[in-house]
Amino acid sequence: MAVAVPKEVVKARENYLTEGGLLSWLVTVDHKRIGVMYGLTSLAFMGLAGFEALAMRIQLAQPNNHFLSADLYNQFFTMHGTTMIFLVIMPLGLGFFGNIAMPLQIGARDVAFPRLNALSYWIFLFGALFMYSSFLFGGLPDAGWFGYANLTERFFTPGSREDFWAIGLLILGISSILGALNFFVTIVNMRAPGMTFMRMPIFVWNILVASVLVLVAFPPLTVGLVFLVMDRFLGTHFYSTVAGATPILWQHLFWLFGHPEVYILALPAFGIISEVIPCFSRKPLFGYAAMAYATALIGFISYGVWGHHMFATGMGPIADAAFALSTMAIAIPTGIKVYSWVATLWRGNFVWTTSFLYALAFVVQFTLGGLTGVMHAQPPIDLQQTGSYFIVAHFHYVLGGGSLFAFLAGLYYWWPKMTGRMMNEKLGRINFWLTCIGFNMTFFPMHFLGLGGMPRRIYTYGAGLHWDFWNMFCTIGAFVMATGILFLLIAMVESLTRGPEAPADPWDGRTLEWSIPSPPPVYNFAEIPHVHSKDAFWEMKYGNNPGHKVPEVAAEHEAGHVPHIHVPAPSMFPILLAAGLALCGIGAVAWLRITLVGLLIVYLAIVGIGFEYPTYGEHPSKERGDDIYPLDSRKVGMWTFIGSESLFFASLIGTYMAYKGRDLIGPTAKEILEIPLTSFSTFVLLMSSLLMVLALAGFERGDIKAGRNWLFATAGLGCIFLGGQAYEFNKFYHEGVTLQHNLFGQTFYTLVGFHGLHVLLGVIWLLTLAFASFKDMVPKKRALAVEFGGLYWHFVDIVWIVIFSLVYLMDKVTGA
Amino acid sequence: MKLKASLGCLRSAILAGLSAACLAGCEVFNGPLSTFIIRSDFARDSYRLFRYTFIWDCIILLTVLVPMVLALFWLTPRTGPQEQEHVEGTSWLEAAWTITPALILISMAIPTIRLTFQNQPPTPPPGALRVRVIGHQWWWEFQYPEYHLTTPDELHIPAGRTVYFDLESADVIHGFWAPQLGGKRDAIPGHVNHIVLTPEKPGEYYGECTQYCGLSHANMRFRVYVDTPENFAAWVKQQQSAPATAAGNDPKVEAGAAVFAAAPCVTCHTIEGVSKGYIGPNLSHIGSHQTLAGSILSNTPENMAKWIRNPEEVKPGAQMPALGLDPVQIDYLVAYLESLK
Repeated sequence: MAVAVPKEVVKARENYLTEGGLLSWLVTVDHKRIGVMYGLTSLAFMGLAGFEALAMRIQLAQPNNHFLSADLYNQFFTMHGTTMIFLVIMPLGLGFFGNIAMPLQIGARDVAFPRLNALSYWIFLFGALFMYSSFLFGGLPDAGWFGYANLTERFFTPGSREDFWAIGLLILGISSILGALNFFVTIVNMRAPGMTFMRMPIFVWNILVASVLVLVAFPPLTVGLVFLVMDRFLGTHFYSTVAGATPILWQHLFWLFGHPEVYILALPAFGIISEVIPCFSRKPLFGYAAMAYATALIGFISYGVWGHHMFATGMGPIADAAFALSTMAIAIPTGIKVYSWVATLWRGNFVWTTSFLYALAFVVQFTLGGLTGVMHAQPPIDLQQTGSYFIVAHFHYVLGGGSLFAFLAGLYYWWPKMTGRMMNEKLGRINFWLTCIGFNMTFFPMHFLGLGGMPRRIYTYGAGLHWDFWNMFCTIGAFVMATGILFLLIAMVESLTRGPEAPADPWDGRTLEWSIPSPPPVYNFAEIPHVHSKDAFWEMKYGNNPGHKVPEVAAEHEAGHVPHIHVPAPSMFPILLAAGLALCGIGAVAWLRITLVGLLIVYLAIVGIGFEYPTYGEHPSKERGDDIYPLDSRKVGMWTFIGSESLFFASLIGTYMAYKGRDLIGPTAKEILEIPLTSFSTFVLLMSSLLMVLALAGFERGDIKAGRNWLFATAGLGCIFLGGQAYEFNKFYHEGVTLQHNLFGQTFYTLVGFHGLHVLLGVIWLLTLAFASFKDMVPKKRALAVEFGGLYWHFVDIVWIVIFSLVYLMDKVTGA
Repeated sequence: MKLKASLGCLRSAILAGLSAACLAGCEVFNGPLSTFIIRSDFARDSYRLFRYTFIWDCIILLTVLVPMVLALFWLTPRTGPQEQEHVEGTSWLEAAWTITPALILISMAIPTIRLTFQNQPPTPPPGALRVRVIGHQWWWEFQYPEYHLTTPDELHIPAGRTVYFDLESADVIHGFWAPQLGGKRDAIPGHVNHIVLTPEKPGEYYGECTQYCGLSHANMRFRVYVDTPENFAAWVKQQQSAPATAAGNDPKVEAGAAVFAAAPCVTCHTIEGVSKGYIGPNLSHIGSHQTLAGSILSNTPENMAKWIRNPEEVKPGAQMPALGLDPVQIDYLVAYLESLK
């Protein structure tokens, strides 16, 4: 460890780890603590997934083995995949590293919405526990991590296993979307003064793009899961062929999420590598601008390549060719990244830390995974490889040898900052070499097995297929790798108990997190730094004069004064809200009344959050130091939320359009929809938007009474709209169009019903505000609360205009 | 001398071990499911494109690895330890590693797209043999509309004649893959997929399901027999004729036929002239088959008896129930079924 140039250990009086007791972690909103909790949870689930993987490897070590039953094997491979993707790599990349490093790198005191951050974590934890609790009720989910319909229909997978899977993923999806929204707003709005987008640390760039991807990719998944849950619980036929639908719909919705998801898993890893390599090569990152653009480009293209997962489904040569080209195109920005890392190494002055070793292994292994990826972009090759162990090798090189190795690099890199202790490099070496050798022993031969024709997801195989040797070899490798991971745990425990204290800047780092003590104080920065260039801390230390060393920027903390900084107060509502959500899930699989209790808790917790924070609705608090930021974070957040919601409706509308005209029996839209009635409801809803404007104006000028009355009137018009909808649904129902009757019935009720549900939520929201104003909880200075309610209301109205045009009017026009 | 000899011994032992490992390692490409053994035009096209991409992948890998190794172990830093070389980027270099991969990708994209269209002709090629493939949990059904034939798990096709497969599914999504004959396609309910290929060489080829389809996905295999045109014609003729039984000569077979007719077998299975069940595999010529139960057992009387006794034990989740027949009945039944040539 050549860098550990002894520096004075700068310690804040109290750091984020020590303040408060153990219980205070339950109500914490500190991004660093939330990051630590994400890390520990993911680590625990990684242990579980690793256990499942080892059991599978033992089963496959020999042909016709009987270590696991077919049933258990299928549960294990399903949960290994689901766990590693949703409960390990994604929460590690965004939840753990995003929380630990990103706010510090942009010089912020916390994320934009600290309580939302805690909420994301608790929903994640409860969602994960909920999914795994299916173990107690008849076994784990067993339809594969991408749960292809129609195998997931209740007819083919009876019991509650898949219910836990689908509802668990819905809960986890909420967590991901809220977390991503938070990070997006934080990065857009809370960078330190002077930190333009092109001065952001490259890790932050990657988190930004990954967050955007979460916001655009999860709505299609949510819609796909909603259909699945409806099929399983309500008897609709979104994915079964009986009513003319096709199970391929699930594949489109799932991979529309699934491929961006790959980059959601990979981008934080790219970001970590782009920090670690320059730091330990003692050179700035090569081609910063190209790297930033490549990151954005990867995110953009990744939304248009989902079809390459479906070459075997027979989409036809035109779609195949289009997806082949778009998928190949993604190799170009990825190549730029790899070459830029290599160029950063060129003539570097290396510091051979464990973190650096992991980063180097990442570059090689990720490149290997990327190169086999090019093969899967070519349908003729892909058809010989998809569904085989070659694919298994490919994505383990991308996500295991890629993302996980990068996360290990990141863990060694930020560990001193996070815990205030150094890690033992000797243990680190053992950990690295065992893991690296074990990883390649396990997964490289899987290329051979795949080319030798071994399909994935088989719990057993016959003798005489020539797969025996490499399967045994892979199994041995898996145990080597597991031993390596064991040494990681040993190194972590050793560091926490006996490790030397870490200086503020152990690696001579380049970014702002190294300018504050290790571990950081609760408020992170005593003074928000001003940034003049990229590699902001490096520039503070050395200026433009490379030879000259200006030490101890962190020393300002030493002066003895603990600055009076307003940090966000702890809150019990996030954990309460998440528990309510988990109750909703439990109710769905157990006893529906529990869901109602859950919904009540969710509602109360939301109201609690809304009115808890003393500054809510006021202009940004000066105390918190928010006045230095250009925009109101809450407005950015609201607009981001609306953007993500639009994609939810887009997926619903897309499904309606895709299934239009495929009905096997009538009546369909043309025969049954009534324009005059709906035109009236539409008019009512549009008028309500007008009243909403008046209500907001009332609150803004301090005329609470007028504002309140207009709020009631708005909600009243909303109720009339809902009444019209109830009348319409009732009429259709009596004409025989039930939810299960035909494709039109299920898509229509789902789309219009979800819109109605949004109107209902809007009515509840507005009524809550109106009643709160009686208690004087919505004074003039909190008119912002009303503004958000209004924004949501207008959004719901606009969605209705789209639905009204596409569902009601278009058919009449084309039918005329 | 002694030391030298023992060292020599050790060396040859190590060499022998390494070469044995190498042989064992390479064996994987000689298996009955290897994609490197090419027996159709479709498989050959895929393989050639694979080889082309593989070569480029190796070259690209070298362009990453060589500079990396040079930088890490050979080059010395240009400047002193604390000094920074402020290389922010070199535009010609960045342009080079953007444009060169793009050109390489274009050179891959052209054959890719050509083959993608060639593999999926809009109409069946003239003179092609049409075979309807239906995936079931967990066995395969092959129908020959041209010859009015149905056979489970074992597909016969003539060498040299183009085959046009129509893939369908009776329940969930399955994947049809006989690696040596070419790439896979999914068999999807409510949707007909196609594969076109021309088998080149007579022989026995293995196939398997490659889309996870439930509990016994691993036990859903099949065989493809590529016959010479003469053998294929003979096979068709044999299959078209009523099942030949040795009924007259063997009382066991006759007793077995009675068991079959009386047991629930008839509700699910067809034996021409005997029963018309269609849920399970057609057993008209089961005695002539090489394999049983989704090609996971070789067709011997013992295996047949084991299967009938308790299908669940052989194939978890199997839809055929254990019929509760006594050993004598099973014995007769096996004799009957094995006689159906």
